[in-house]
Amino acid sequence: MSNKIGLSTFVLASPFTDADLHLMGKVKGMGFDVLEICIEDPTKLSSAQMLSVAKEHEMEISICGAFGPDRDISHEDSKVRDLGIQYLKSCVDFAAEVGSSFVSGPMYSATGKARLLSPAERKEQFNWAVDSLRVVANYAQDSKVGLAIEPLNRFETDLINTVEQGVELCRAVDLPNVGLLIDTFHMHIEEKSLTAAIASAAPYIFHVQVSENDRGTPGKGQVRWDEFFATLAAINYGGQIVIESFLPTVKEIARAVSAWRPVAPSMDALAIDGFHFIDGMVTKHLGSA
Amino acid sequence: MLKYAYNMLVYGTEPIEIGIARLSKFGYDFAEIVGEPEQISAAQYSEALSKYNMPVSSIVSIYTPDRDLVSSNSAIRANTIKYIKGNIDFAATLGATIVTLTPTACMKIKPEVAIEQEWEWAVQGAREAAQYALDNGVRLALEPWNRYESYLVNRLDQSIRMVDEVDNPGIGVMADTFHMSIEDKDIPGAIRSAGKRLAHVHFADSNRAAPGEGFLDFTPIVEAIRDIDYQGVCSFELLPAAGDVWGVLQGGKAPEFLDPYTESSIKYMKNIEKNLGMINVK
Repeated sequence: MSNKIGLSTFVLASPFTDADLHLMGKVKGMGFDVLEICIEDPTKLSSAQMLSVAKEHEMEISICGAFGPDRDISHEDSKVRDLGIQYLKSCVDFAAEVGSSFVSGPMYSATGKARLLSPAERKEQFNWAVDSLRVVANYAQDSKVGLAIEPLNRFETDLINTVEQGVELCRAVDLPNVGLLIDTFHMHIEEKSLTAAIASAAPYIFHVQVSENDRGTPGKGQVRWDEFFATLAAINYGGQIVIESFLPTVKEIARAVSAWRPVAPSMDALAIDGFHFIDGMVTKHLGSA
Repeated sequence: MLKYAYNMLVYGTEPIEIGIARLSKFGYDFAEIVGEPEQISAAQYSEALSKYNMPVSSIVSIYTPDRDLVSSNSAIRANTIKYIKGNIDFAATLGATIVTLTPTACMKIKPEVAIEQEWEWAVQGAREAAQYALDNGVRLALEPWNRYESYLVNRLDQSIRMVDEVDNPGIGVMADTFHMSIEDKDIPGAIRSAGKRLAHVHFADSNRAAPGEGFLDFTPIVEAIRDIDYQGVCSFELLPAAGDVWGVLQGGKAPEFLDPYTESSIKYMKNIEKNLGMINVK
């Protein structure tokens, strides 16, 4: 197996733009083979530049989305849903152009909507998500790009909190290029068992993000890493493993993910120490890094 | 041997007596109740409590937007101190010895002014309330909340720092294992570092359901509580898996938190105590 280890641009800069692409060399120097670029502002990124810098440093790019209130594919207003679909299609274009095999993220809703929905309201929102995802997935299919849907914990969304709910959404969309992104931070809050969650979702797991329970350096907190990686090995997961955390200095992000305090000595230390820890886990459980 | 309570907050709008009867049936030592004395008075609890001979360990304070110890509005700060003092009176009337304190309104997740100023307001307000608690035979328990519910005191070490600055025996720190599962790097280690400052404990699993429903390892947590010679009560504060906790409770949509979790929580923890040789379970 050849799991590649990546770093999220949220650890580097936000919004990440073409002007930040030079950081790719530094990330490569830390040991990473993948940069996961979050398309916060599509107008400030160009796939040509991304591709050229990636080639220079022999890095792969993984595309992830950021879903604010105006990018909400399950909103009750069809105009807002259309904006969300448009944005997701632009992420698919980026992915196709830079060679990312999927677009990942909590694309089913605007992040931060954690209301109390009645079962009927939730069903309606779920159905809008399914309809919109089907439109985007069909579009993505033409360029062989997949959608990796990320469940978020209860405080960040009311729609898809657990891996099981994620599978339910994938089954409802029912297209082969629709799967899941699983993230240890959210799983640590929501899952009853990491093993059971991963095993039950095995065919749908397109992508993996790793983050400590407090969003700090992987390996320095409470996440059950050995169990997590042993289960990835058991399902023969061969995809990317991306370290995600958030710069506490960026106010917009701090609000969205409630990152109120530094969780590591520095973000560079988080990336470097995190890489060594994850690399060790991959070697131990998945055979080679 | 630990002493157990169950936070009746999660019973929602159910009649008080049904909840007290449930705690009695499943072998609880204490009830933990919600501090809204203007809505439900001590007298309204007393009859059911005496009928089942159930003491109250602790009052859980509810920090709504107008109960915010670090509000930039001085009237709100004053109202918050008044509310906490009211809960201290409520506790004293019912014979409870703990009132919970968190210095920010629940779900407020950003400061209004410089955080140093808010910290100072929190210390001053907590000091005034702690002295009032001390005078009334009650102790405040300063509870850190996770990042989605607060921003000022998220971890136990921050609570320890604030309690040390308040420097009054009427306040100690509180450990809630659900919040700590998100925010702390090492739960037993944090509890040990609190030592004698530990005034109150909330148990919930990693997903805020009953212990055993998530993946927290409670054995080293119980060992830490035992080793620091904690004499207080361990209360189960279990809440539904929703960002909008209040809505879920008002809607009564959490039936598993009634009989099933009330029964399983205490059984699960007593079994851990038994395995550690702390009690003999018949």
